[in-house]
Amino acid sequence: MQHFSKKLIGLLFVLALLVSACGGGTAVPGENAPAVESNSPVENEAGVSGNLVIYSGRSESLIQPVLDAFQAKYPNVKILLKSGSNSELANALIEEQANPQADVFVTTEIFTIQSLYQQGLFASYRPVGADLLPAEFIGPEDSWVGLTRRARVIMYNTELVGADEAPQSIFDLTDPKWQGQIAAAGSTNGGMQAQIAAMRQLLGDEATQEWLTGLMVNEVTFFGGHTDVRKAVGAGEFKIGLVNHYYYYLQLAEGSPVGIVFPDQGEGQIGLICNATSAAIVNGGKNVTAAQAFLDFLISEEGQKLFAEGNYEYPMLASVPLREGVEPLENFRLADVNVAEAALDLNGTLDLMEAIGLP
Amino acid sequence: MQIRNTLPQLRRHYHISPRLLFAAGLVALFVAIPLAYIFFRATTGGEEVWLRLLQTRIWKLLGNTLLLAATVTGGATLVGVTMSFLTERTDLPGRKVFRWMLAMPLAIPAYIGGIVHLTLLRPRGGLIPQLLAEWFGQPIPTPSPLGFGGAAFILTLFMFPYVYLLSGAAFRSLNASLEEASRTFGRSNWQTLWEVTLPALRPGITAGALLVALDVLAEYGTVALLRYETFSSAIFVQLSGRYDRSAAAVLSGVLIVIAVMILWGELRLQGQARYTQMDSQWRPAPTLPLKKWKVPAFLLVSLVVFSSLLVPVIVLAAWSVQALLDPAALASIMRSGSQTFGNYAWNSLWASALAAVIAVLLSLPVALLSARYPNKLTQAISRFCQVGYAIPGVVIALSLVLLVNRYLPFLYATPLIVVMAYVLRHMPQAVRASESALNQLSPSMEEASRTLGRTSIQTIFQVILPLIVPGLLAGAGLVFLTSLKELPATLLLRPAGFDTLAVRVWVWASEGFYIQAAPAALLLVVASAAPLYFLLRREQIFR
Repeated sequence: MQHFSKKLIGLLFVLALLVSACGGGTAVPGENAPAVESNSPVENEAGVSGNLVIYSGRSESLIQPVLDAFQAKYPNVKILLKSGSNSELANALIEEQANPQADVFVTTEIFTIQSLYQQGLFASYRPVGADLLPAEFIGPEDSWVGLTRRARVIMYNTELVGADEAPQSIFDLTDPKWQGQIAAAGSTNGGMQAQIAAMRQLLGDEATQEWLTGLMVNEVTFFGGHTDVRKAVGAGEFKIGLVNHYYYYLQLAEGSPVGIVFPDQGEGQIGLICNATSAAIVNGGKNVTAAQAFLDFLISEEGQKLFAEGNYEYPMLASVPLREGVEPLENFRLADVNVAEAALDLNGTLDLMEAIGLP
Repeated sequence: MQIRNTLPQLRRHYHISPRLLFAAGLVALFVAIPLAYIFFRATTGGEEVWLRLLQTRIWKLLGNTLLLAATVTGGATLVGVTMSFLTERTDLPGRKVFRWMLAMPLAIPAYIGGIVHLTLLRPRGGLIPQLLAEWFGQPIPTPSPLGFGGAAFILTLFMFPYVYLLSGAAFRSLNASLEEASRTFGRSNWQTLWEVTLPALRPGITAGALLVALDVLAEYGTVALLRYETFSSAIFVQLSGRYDRSAAAVLSGVLIVIAVMILWGELRLQGQARYTQMDSQWRPAPTLPLKKWKVPAFLLVSLVVFSSLLVPVIVLAAWSVQALLDPAALASIMRSGSQTFGNYAWNSLWASALAAVIAVLLSLPVALLSARYPNKLTQAISRFCQVGYAIPGVVIALSLVLLVNRYLPFLYATPLIVVMAYVLRHMPQAVRASESALNQLSPSMEEASRTLGRTSIQTIFQVILPLIVPGLLAGAGLVFLTSLKELPATLLLRPAGFDTLAVRVWVWASEGFYIQAAPAALLLVVASAAPLYFLLRREQIFR
């Protein structure tokens, strides 16, 4: 193998030379730089410029407005975004550990980021204003910071399901009465992965597996993402969907007849499963200044407002109001999940999904 | 045939150039290393990973993958041969236009076709089921495009042109005398078709079927979208899910074995029969009158053209208009981070074009060697450089991630690694095109050049290259076309900010935003159609 590798290196060098010779004129043309609305120069902090590489697990339509606002504030920063699933990007970060490419990592749930922290991938940074956030959403050693909270809810089509008839617990979703009528996101979705990780901790492997198998027996349709789920429920294609809470509000805003249940609030039930989107600065990233400015911005009043207003999420910053009509989390009993513990066993969650063949 | 006759004579004049052999050897090594590395990783992946996969996944994936490959290959062969028969050998009305329209679906990546048909056909939510429900006042059950049936349907629809093109060319070159002889011996027209014509077309049909089978193995987007799990999509899930590459390497190893077995099977199949024709007496076969079958045949061809070409293009165009009219959608389509739509389109174009140039350049020493000095060694090198056919994009991406990150970190996370994947994956097309271009060139040209005092290098650059440029351009066009469509390798290898049209389509569509995906998809189809047009113009059946 050693012998092979040496030859390979030589060969690849030849190719690299060839490529750079051919590709000299292929730099990205400058005229494509977006026009940025002018901002008072006082606001543009000096020294924040260059490329800011962001790996984001958030759906692109849910982060681009935030990036645009940041860009308006720091017009000299060029944002290079790589969107994908949380785990796909987490893998890339691990792969690149010796040769870091990203400056900032943004995820849609907390377990992945905690697990990467445990592998030493993040730099410590306490963003400006972090003291105003709930302490439980600051990572150990200031390794990551929570951005917003989201709840796992049940949405239903009000033309097909009465409010009194709608399932009040995620365990009702295995009821044969709903056979073939439920849509959810599949095993590659961060929100679904986090829900399974939380349930494993709350109930153990056996009960979680039983629930998942029950969903599959009940012919639940698993989509790649939640947008498909909310649209399908809104259109009446399915009666019920298992989603994050803001998908309900997004669908409602499109004028669809949909209702929401914050499940498992009864005596002896597990409570509402919640999750947090989060962000961290990658160890060894090339643009630390911009990365820090970006994290500051995400938890600033302006950044938090964008999440709350644009996407109906629960902001971390208490001073930022919820978007009108969003039910406050304080009204509900939340499931008690230990993040650090759940993150330690992320592979166990993947094993479980693989073993039962969750689509 | 002339070339082969003069070869012994050539060899007497000059022996194999060591420089050429060295260059070709380097190219072969370049192709071989990712493959070798994957096998190395797969076999040293650890007993535990093998056991876990053997217990849970491999058998089901094997069944799924082989079933899909067999079904789609069969379906594409049936559709492709029927279409080429109808447009080449019968008096089908409008056959000249149909010839074009039946080849054009090659410009539409199957996953884009899948997105369109999924939104049209999805039970309850799709446009067609909704329309039916409105007309009849109650839901009418329709077949679901999800799962095995849907994946087989979509892949057949967008892969049959391979078989169609290759069998069409074969139909066209078939000599009339063959069938006349058959009829003289008392066979009916139909008997002649089944017992004489089709067997004579077998090499063309098999070559087309082989391409389809290998493409199904490599397909990621469509099966992921329609939620049918094959090796390719399972590798992708492993790669993006688990913080451990061993399982992905094991699955990749198994996938490569399947692909190589298919390649070997084709070689065996082709080797059993030879059909030689005497070119000097060639006459085109007469067209068969369809008579009462004219209308059904016309409807059948129309249906295929409609669902594989017209529906996707029309739906994409309609969505694009919708997206352009909606300011919010338009704003989100136009930008990702600080990158704009122009960046994605530009990235797609230059990365694919650069891959095409490099692939053709690298194919030259290999093709020169095997065309001028055909022996076991040079044939082996040529065959070996075509093994990229059998390696799905996701496997190439995995090997490059592992290798480049370890040994060439400065190349990692640059667009060049994406280009490298395209070259590795699509090199076979360049090698085949260069070989066929060189084979059409008489060696006497070179001899004359050498006699007139040029060195072998001068001969290559001043005599051979100018003459084979059209053939090389065709190879480059093919590499460009397929690189433009390549999804899984781009998804896994792209550096931040380097999105291509294919990636943009996927980022939007996998989230369920089909309208936002449409403009990039439409542009991708248009950009693919242009080189396809010029490639087809070279074929006799499109003149």
